[in-house]
Amino acid sequence: MKRTVISIITILISLNVFSQTIIMGKVSEENGDVLPGASAYLKGTYDGTTSNENGEFKFKSNKKGQFTLAVEFMGYEPFSRILDLKGDTIRINVTLKEAFNQLNAVTITAGTFEAGDKKRAVTITPRDMVTTAGAAGDVYGALQSLPGTTTNGESGRLFVKGGDSEESQTYIDGALVSVPYNSTAPNMATRGRFSPFMFKGTMFSTGGYSAEYGQALSSVLLLNTNDMPEEDQLDLSFLMVGVEAAGTKKWNSGAITGTLSYNNLKPYMRLVPQNYHWTNEPESTNGAISFRQKTSKTGMFKFYSSLDNGNFTVRQKNLDAGGQLTDYQLTNDNVFMNASWNDKLGEKWAINSAASFTNNKDDIHFDQTHVVKKIQANYLKSTLSYPFSEKFLLKFGGELFAKTFSQNAQISGVTHDNSFTNHTFSGFTEAQVYASSKFVTRIGARVEYSDYLNSFNFAPRLSTAYKITEKSQISLAYGWFYQNPVDDYLLYTDHIKPERADHYTFSFQSSANERIIKAELYYKDYRNLVKLTSGEFYLPTSYNNSGSGYAKGLDLFWRDKKSIKGGDYWISYSYVDAKRDYRNFPHEAIPSFTSKHNLSIVYKHWIGSLRSYPGINFKYSSPRVYNDPNSTVFNGEKMLPYRSLDVSWSFLYRQNIIFYFAANNITGFKNEFGRTYASSPDVSGNYQSSAVEPSSNRFFVLGCFITLTRRGNANQLDKIN
Amino acid sequence: MKKIILSIAVVLISLVSMAQKPEYYEPMGETLGQFSSVKSVADMQELGNKFQMIANAETTEWLPLYYHAHCYILMSFMEQDVAKKDSYLDVAEKSINKLIEMAPSEAEVFALQSFYFTGRLVVNPMERGQEFSALSGQAIGKALALDPTNPRAKMLKIQMDMGSARFFGTDPKSFCPQAKELLASWDNFKPKSHLYPNWGKDQVEGIVKGCE
Repeated sequence: MKRTVISIITILISLNVFSQTIIMGKVSEENGDVLPGASAYLKGTYDGTTSNENGEFKFKSNKKGQFTLAVEFMGYEPFSRILDLKGDTIRINVTLKEAFNQLNAVTITAGTFEAGDKKRAVTITPRDMVTTAGAAGDVYGALQSLPGTTTNGESGRLFVKGGDSEESQTYIDGALVSVPYNSTAPNMATRGRFSPFMFKGTMFSTGGYSAEYGQALSSVLLLNTNDMPEEDQLDLSFLMVGVEAAGTKKWNSGAITGTLSYNNLKPYMRLVPQNYHWTNEPESTNGAISFRQKTSKTGMFKFYSSLDNGNFTVRQKNLDAGGQLTDYQLTNDNVFMNASWNDKLGEKWAINSAASFTNNKDDIHFDQTHVVKKIQANYLKSTLSYPFSEKFLLKFGGELFAKTFSQNAQISGVTHDNSFTNHTFSGFTEAQVYASSKFVTRIGARVEYSDYLNSFNFAPRLSTAYKITEKSQISLAYGWFYQNPVDDYLLYTDHIKPERADHYTFSFQSSANERIIKAELYYKDYRNLVKLTSGEFYLPTSYNNSGSGYAKGLDLFWRDKKSIKGGDYWISYSYVDAKRDYRNFPHEAIPSFTSKHNLSIVYKHWIGSLRSYPGINFKYSSPRVYNDPNSTVFNGEKMLPYRSLDVSWSFLYRQNIIFYFAANNITGFKNEFGRTYASSPDVSGNYQSSAVEPSSNRFFVLGCFITLTRRGNANQLDKIN
Repeated sequence: MKKIILSIAVVLISLVSMAQKPEYYEPMGETLGQFSSVKSVADMQELGNKFQMIANAETTEWLPLYYHAHCYILMSFMEQDVAKKDSYLDVAEKSINKLIEMAPSEAEVFALQSFYFTGRLVVNPMERGQEFSALSGQAIGKALALDPTNPRAKMLKIQMDMGSARFFGTDPKSFCPQAKELLASWDNFKPKSHLYPNWGKDQVEGIVKGCE
């Protein structure tokens, strides 16, 4: 008996040995291409193999019965099938479907320059904002090396695709920044209030943006602040024009940074020849606190608050008083707070909330005039998003923007008080749908109601992108964009409606191997632009919405980090054809803020042996027009072309000490921004005028940045290198 | 005395567990043996696939996942196509995140995480240097806090220190005595079993060679 049992067992075992199942087949993609390197195995066992260069696999198994064959390859949806293992040969051909992955999927690129996502091919990173020669550490200065922008040297603000500077809005962590620029005198270039070092990511949209953003006819700049710092640190900056100290304390789930800075341009301006006559050179004091706290595994709360005080007195020609030099004195006080909270609500819902508060006061003395302008603005937005699937995301939200603008002007002893308060309530919804990883559509709409103007708008938005090849894609964007008229008009009238621009954008983008090329064609149709129909600007009835205009053009961008070892360069070119009939224009004309041809060439090179990162930037804008009231032709005069050759040099002296030098317009090209005229003619019937010049022909920065940490080897590489 | 008992206990435990699961220890050991014959990215991927398969079958063991991540990190170093490097590291990242949940007190896991961050850094040192050298340094710090004797964490630290010394123009050779000491003491570190990570000696030998 015992023997029988043993022999049966032996037979069974040997049967088992002789009845191995062979599993073989071929792995291919949907388009028929074979997939080498795919893993084919029986789940829960060690029996399996990898497909060879022909996509073929073959392995044996001693297992009997039902097992699941799994075939997996990264970037593809896993395949599985239950097999009945009986000791024979199983042939199975497997087709793997490309997995849908938002990171690899097509993205909407019409009108956008996105940066900061580490894994995506980016066009401009936040670091570029700092290291681009000519930007001198100004966010808006750096953006002016991108296509679609026109440099207006007498303004410093963003002018996008044939649009005026008021048509661009800036958002920090989702909240609107009501006063993004420093206050300056008329025809004097300004800078952004915020240091580019605060930001980890940016998105600059020059048209066709999401329904989430309103009140901007031309562009939105989205800045995202840094997340958690890596460790405690103390940053010290010494510049020719000022000092800054920033201390960061980090704890497990949060961090706080306090920053203090003081700038005074007096020593610098005494050293470098200036075109302006200063009675008091610009001086500013700033204190800021930034706090961040993780609210859960996925949530983050950020709060930023800053207090700014700046003042200067510059002597400008008073053209209405015979052209004598007169003090223009400005004191600016700015309080800004910004808070945001992002988290997941449950498994799928996500919430993004943001709020900002601005209190800005400009106190101006000029000749017999004393003007105090105050802006108080509150902004609140909340967005909820829900992914029905990986391919279908729905987003909706609401926004409240409250703004009070008041102006108290004392002109030769007479007081004029004007103010307005407006609340804009907005709601928006948007769906993003991927038909496949090659084709995406974003469709949305926005409604807005402004109580001061008693106006209601509906603004549809639509954009799509299609991947033509692995590396190339085309993208289209269309939408209606509304924006309330400028504050200076709303002070005197509520009889007008928001202005409108329709955007049509077509873009092509191709990127491979750290090279990117982008070409964009656009057309913007402006309507309902506000016209000032008489010289009596203080009468509400002097304004109407009968203005219109257009802007069309071509933007080209080429960036290459590959061809030159250690080198990185980009070339931007924009062609703009724009005309409009608005404000006090007598008829349709080219506005003075657009240049037909705009070129920017940026080059940077890392020289390891010198631990140096030098950079160079050349900019050219063709002559803009300006109006001479002595001439019968409106906007018939031409300025000089704008040219500037800028250099910068960063030197890493030690791991934690960086020296930085930058010079703008080193060759001293003569730049002049037309002429400014008296508001009324003199006795001989002539309008007196003076040239509008930059504050100096050349501009220099010399600085030293020191970082102190416990670890001892961090630096502000991100800052300046 | 205590130490001896402890080490005997460790050996016994590992023997017992080996005896319990020969179907795990045998193929693992065999697959580990194939590391030496890897010549190409495809070979490494094949090896990685095997570890993935074992990891799928042995959901409570962290070592197969560890080697799976290790293979994909090594692939990113071997690969010439920059775009592919990140996709391999994406695969490694998933396994490492799982590993940290499975074995949060294992120094080897954080040493590997540091190696992974270095992989990310190498893809684009100019853009990523700042962030990933800090992350890599933090991971080494965690590894050494869990086990100050871990030779792989020490090796990665020396590599990183020498790298940044070179970048900033200070003398990388100041770290040579540390490297020599690490090489001399390398074999003192006994992995808990023959399946435990045991790589890195070659790299230290390379560093020491470069010192001469």
